[in-house]
Amino acid sequence: MATNNYFGFTHGGTQYSAAAATGTAYQTAQTGYAVAAPATAAAAASYNTQRPGYETAYQAAATPATYAAVGTGTTPAYEYGYGRAAAATTGYEAGKNYYQQAATGQAATGYATAYDQAQGAAKQATYATQFAAQRNPGQPQAQGATVSAKPAQYTGTYQANPSGYQAAYAQAAAQTTIAAQPTTQTKPTMYVAQQSTNQQKAGWQGYKKGGAAGGGAKNMRSKAPPKPQQLHYCEVCKISCAGPQTYREHLEGQKHKKREAATKMTASPAVTSQNRAGNSLRCQLCDVTCTGNDAYAAHIRGSKHSKVVMLHTKLGKPIPPVEPEVIGGTRKSITSTPKINFVQSGGLGVPAPNNGDVKEEEIEDTPEPDIQPVGQDYIEEIKSEDGKVISFNCKLCECRFNDPNAKEMHMKGRRHRLQYKKKVNPDLVVDLKPSLRQRKIQEEKMRRAALREEYWQRRHIAPDDDDERMYWEERRRYEEDYMEWCRRGNMGPFPRGRPPFPGNGPPPFFPGPQMTRRIESNDDRHVMAHHAEIYPKEEELQNIQRIVSHTERALKIVSDQMSEASTVKEETPAAPTTDAEKTPETTTPTEANDKPEEQTELKEDGRDNQLFSFQREERDSNRTLKGVMRVGHLAKGLLLQGDTNVELVVLCSDKPTLTLLRTVVDMLPAALKQVLPDNSYTVTINAAEAGFTVTEADLTVLVQLTSPVMREQEAASGGLDRDVLARGKCLQALAALRHTKWFQARALGLHSCVVIIRILRDLCQRVPTWAPLSPWAMELLVEKVISSTPGGVQLSPGDALRRVMEAVAGGLLLPGGPGLGDPCEKDSPDAATALTAQQREDLTCSAQFALRLIAYRQIYKVLGMEQLPMQQKNFRRDRSARKRRRSGGEQADFESDTGKMVKTENDTNNTTPTETPLPSK
Amino acid sequence: MARGNMRGRGGVGRGIGRHPFKPKIFLPRHPFDLTLAEVTFPKLKPSPDETMFTNALLKRNADLSPTAAEQTAILNLVTKIQTVLDNLVVAPGTFDACQLEEVRQVGSFKKGTMVSGHNVADIVVILKTLPTKEAVEALGNKVRDDLKNLMKSEVINKGESLNHAINERGIEISNCFATVRVMVTTVHHNIRKLDPEIHLDPKIMMSHLAAIRHSRWFEENAHHSSIKVLIRLLRDLRSRFEGFEPLTPWMLDLLAHFAIMNNPSRQAVPINQAFRRVFQLLAAGLFLPGSAGITDPCEGGNLRIHTAMSLEQQDTCCLTAQTLLRVLSHGGYKHILGLEGNATIAKEMSIWDGVVVSPLEKAYEKPLEKKDGEEGEDEDMEGEGEEDFS
Repeated sequence: MATNNYFGFTHGGTQYSAAAATGTAYQTAQTGYAVAAPATAAAAASYNTQRPGYETAYQAAATPATYAAVGTGTTPAYEYGYGRAAAATTGYEAGKNYYQQAATGQAATGYATAYDQAQGAAKQATYATQFAAQRNPGQPQAQGATVSAKPAQYTGTYQANPSGYQAAYAQAAAQTTIAAQPTTQTKPTMYVAQQSTNQQKAGWQGYKKGGAAGGGAKNMRSKAPPKPQQLHYCEVCKISCAGPQTYREHLEGQKHKKREAATKMTASPAVTSQNRAGNSLRCQLCDVTCTGNDAYAAHIRGSKHSKVVMLHTKLGKPIPPVEPEVIGGTRKSITSTPKINFVQSGGLGVPAPNNGDVKEEEIEDTPEPDIQPVGQDYIEEIKSEDGKVISFNCKLCECRFNDPNAKEMHMKGRRHRLQYKKKVNPDLVVDLKPSLRQRKIQEEKMRRAALREEYWQRRHIAPDDDDERMYWEERRRYEEDYMEWCRRGNMGPFPRGRPPFPGNGPPPFFPGPQMTRRIESNDDRHVMAHHAEIYPKEEELQNIQRIVSHTERALKIVSDQMSEASTVKEETPAAPTTDAEKTPETTTPTEANDKPEEQTELKEDGRDNQLFSFQREERDSNRTLKGVMRVGHLAKGLLLQGDTNVELVVLCSDKPTLTLLRTVVDMLPAALKQVLPDNSYTVTINAAEAGFTVTEADLTVLVQLTSPVMREQEAASGGLDRDVLARGKCLQALAALRHTKWFQARALGLHSCVVIIRILRDLCQRVPTWAPLSPWAMELLVEKVISSTPGGVQLSPGDALRRVMEAVAGGLLLPGGPGLGDPCEKDSPDAATALTAQQREDLTCSAQFALRLIAYRQIYKVLGMEQLPMQQKNFRRDRSARKRRRSGGEQADFESDTGKMVKTENDTNNTTPTETPLPSK
Repeated sequence: MARGNMRGRGGVGRGIGRHPFKPKIFLPRHPFDLTLAEVTFPKLKPSPDETMFTNALLKRNADLSPTAAEQTAILNLVTKIQTVLDNLVVAPGTFDACQLEEVRQVGSFKKGTMVSGHNVADIVVILKTLPTKEAVEALGNKVRDDLKNLMKSEVINKGESLNHAINERGIEISNCFATVRVMVTTVHHNIRKLDPEIHLDPKIMMSHLAAIRHSRWFEENAHHSSIKVLIRLLRDLRSRFEGFEPLTPWMLDLLAHFAIMNNPSRQAVPINQAFRRVFQLLAAGLFLPGSAGITDPCEGGNLRIHTAMSLEQQDTCCLTAQTLLRVLSHGGYKHILGLEGNATIAKEMSIWDGVVVSPLEKAYEKPLEKKDGEEGEDEDMEGEGEEDFS
């Protein structure tokens, strides 16, 4: 739509150039008329619908009501029209365009008829008919042949019937403001308009000079050549010269020339006042314009004025009255009818700001309100040594003056008031004086607003396809991030392809919750890197796995043999009981995938960390060795690198006795041989621990015998039976069983929990301060702290570690703290009772320091590792830059590089943890 | 052609209509809070008898509360000045150096958390006009003259004659017993227009406006007397322990409110528990980088109050609280309250019942070198936090 219009303009422009030569006056009138049209249209419809609006407006123009509407809504309509005109290269062209469109387009007839109708209603043939007659030929306009005569015709009629025209309008639109205004006021307008047309014949310059002249004597003065008199009086500068020589020099002097040029340029006060606010006062005698009453008074008092007065009295020249000529006022009487759209025709010839001025004058009815001086406090009096005030300094405006009058005036002045408004009282009303620039800015703003509005309308109709592109771009980025995360997650902290130790794999990182935090923090990276360091190597895990598995199977054989020997003669291999049967389901999918070769023998040992029962059937309940279960770090999956001791607990049907222990120890080597013919396992009895050990190389499996009966028997003093194994140890073994169960139920499912427990286990081993904290207490602590996160939020490893440190630092373990309730014991006693006050104090102290280290990005010190390289962090830091880098392909390379680096680090494990210990107190 | 034009303009439009792509939101985490985690950590032993401790707290509070004489002295002065200022609001008369919009009492006197010996009441005067230095001076002179008029009939005892001083915050009027600070500020939309050359410092103006919000918040939320007692105790701590100095009165207000009211039952916690909880919270890193801390209820945009402290100050504040928490748990409350001993316990090794309590070192390290892209550790640390939690 806009296109059409703009497109139309160019055509209009060319068309115009042909017509312009023919009759300017006519064109001007046309333009004025045309501009009025869009103004009316604009009042009703938006710019987009201008043409239809134009047509409809004119169609409707037949009824006076529309005119009335236009008339009343003058100011906005006018403004808009003006803004539009500015948007096109010139108002003139724009007007031409509309005219042209109307003339050549389909609307031409409608327009003409509409207008005719209006005229018909007015019953006036004068201007309108003439105009219509001109209009009807329509297209010939451009040809320019007939037009040459038209200007004369037009102006003729126009001049002849100014009142008629006026009347026509008044009749056609009885409600317009024009009609409401007194005719005396409107008539001069017509006169001005007409004059301008006349002037235009002579040329635009000429018009400018005399166009809006009130026909004052000053114009005559400016035109009159300076006549040398006896006194050598210069009319322009209003000075007398001593002699002809000085007079000539004065005439050639710059001052005079400047003055003359100025007079010529701005001959009329009307034009002069265009750039001023309306309330300027002019001394007619000296031809000096003052900006206010005070300035005028000062001028009248001044020496210059009195000199001129003296001169004039000497010369006998008429002295105009002392009353100032209120320029704003006279001007107002001339052009106070800009509400008529026609006047704008003048606006095309006269520089545009004229219109703005006119508007302003309307607002300002009181040109010189009595302004109260403001900001007395900010005028500093500068005194001479003898205490006399010699000058004043305005601190707001940073200017100084010597005259108290000047000070008064300054305090009333606009500049000072503006400063006061700006610096002291923002509520002070300072009349606006829109400069040319400000006005232009205003126009520009409006134009932009119009464009923006249009743009938004367009957007509402047809959503920009840019949006869609943005959406997909974002989405792609998001997915990339996610993939990236997966890749890093697999390659970094958890080296891919490691067959996880059964049942103790770190809790799988489900992509779901992780998606919300796509980026792992610095702390997370360090925690996970450290975790990867302390996590046992696959080889170690395999070895431990093997020896434990063999021990378990051998124990089963022993159990079978013993049960055969004692009671039943059954020889079929053990079928797993319900417990064992559950295993395939309970194992995590990763295990199932990564260890397919072991799946078949899954039921033959306790690798699921559940009780590996030796019983085959219900009736088998009287078997002495009922089953074996992995406990401790092995079962919980807390084994760390370098761990060589693992624990098993064998459940007996009755109180385990030394005799039973001996029997088992005797039978086991043979059973082990049966499992693995050439093994190097050594079985050693360890009665103190209520069990025995199976060792191979540096690996040790401690097998403890216990029985639930030991617990039930609490009432009876167990000390009587010398044969029974140490009761405390047996109870410990039972507790270990329960802890394992608890761990599997609570900690394994908790996000980040196992990782943090491993990290803390490492801390307890590494830092002596933490050593007194028993593994069980530590596990409880970590689980409780992490599970107590408000809102059940899943913490990232870094956050989880920090939270544990926060808890300890916050005095959880200090004397007077709540204590760690042990859920596996009756009445949940404190699991950390063993700690002395000093140990608690030291633990807290250490955690407090660790917490602050974490907060200040030194988590690597807490973990006892090297700080990770910064590259990744740099990359992460300017994530905003990532978008840009993404577009190039280099980003992907960069990231895969880091991924590889992490991987090699894990594979070779050549990064030795440096000892940056915590303060060990 | 025009389409292309529109597209260009569209770029601007889009900037208005749509937020620029924001990668993520910073979600700081609340530190571990034992009181909130009570379900997980039930008390295994009955809590020891703490009446002694509570009594000590109450005694200390009584010591710190201003005496009746002090109260009266301040109140007298405040009432007079308030009267004068109120008159200026209602009937400025010939006084035109500035226009007064509102006069409000703020600060510890208003809140009832005043500490004895610090007999300062605060009044904020909101000017409709801009607070130029001249305007403040004129206001000061006017207040002085009016006060003189007001007190014409009174017999002025020795020490009751008023001193007037003008500083960058406003006017300070004092006699021997009390001081009233008339803090000048301006209406909110004027703040932007302030020019440090001519006017009072915009930051101070803002802080005065904030003070009004704070006292209003306090009236509505923290009128519980336990909170006031705790605030008084904390103010005393702040003055005695160097590490707590960066804590502003507003932080203390919020911290005390948090410690007393922010619990599962939403009932006020007994003062002894609340006092301990303050240390537990600070020690757990409530005011450390990366912590959610306490969100300022009087500012928009989730401002965490502790970010007003520098990183080093946060560290110092935290470590002081950590040391004191351990001292407190070993029964050293008298030292903490200042009833016995001195403040060196925060910095030097001390022995309580054979338990050695040692002070802590700072964890904060000044950034040694600034690589490019690492503009200042301050932003860096927080920026890191921003990346951490989303």
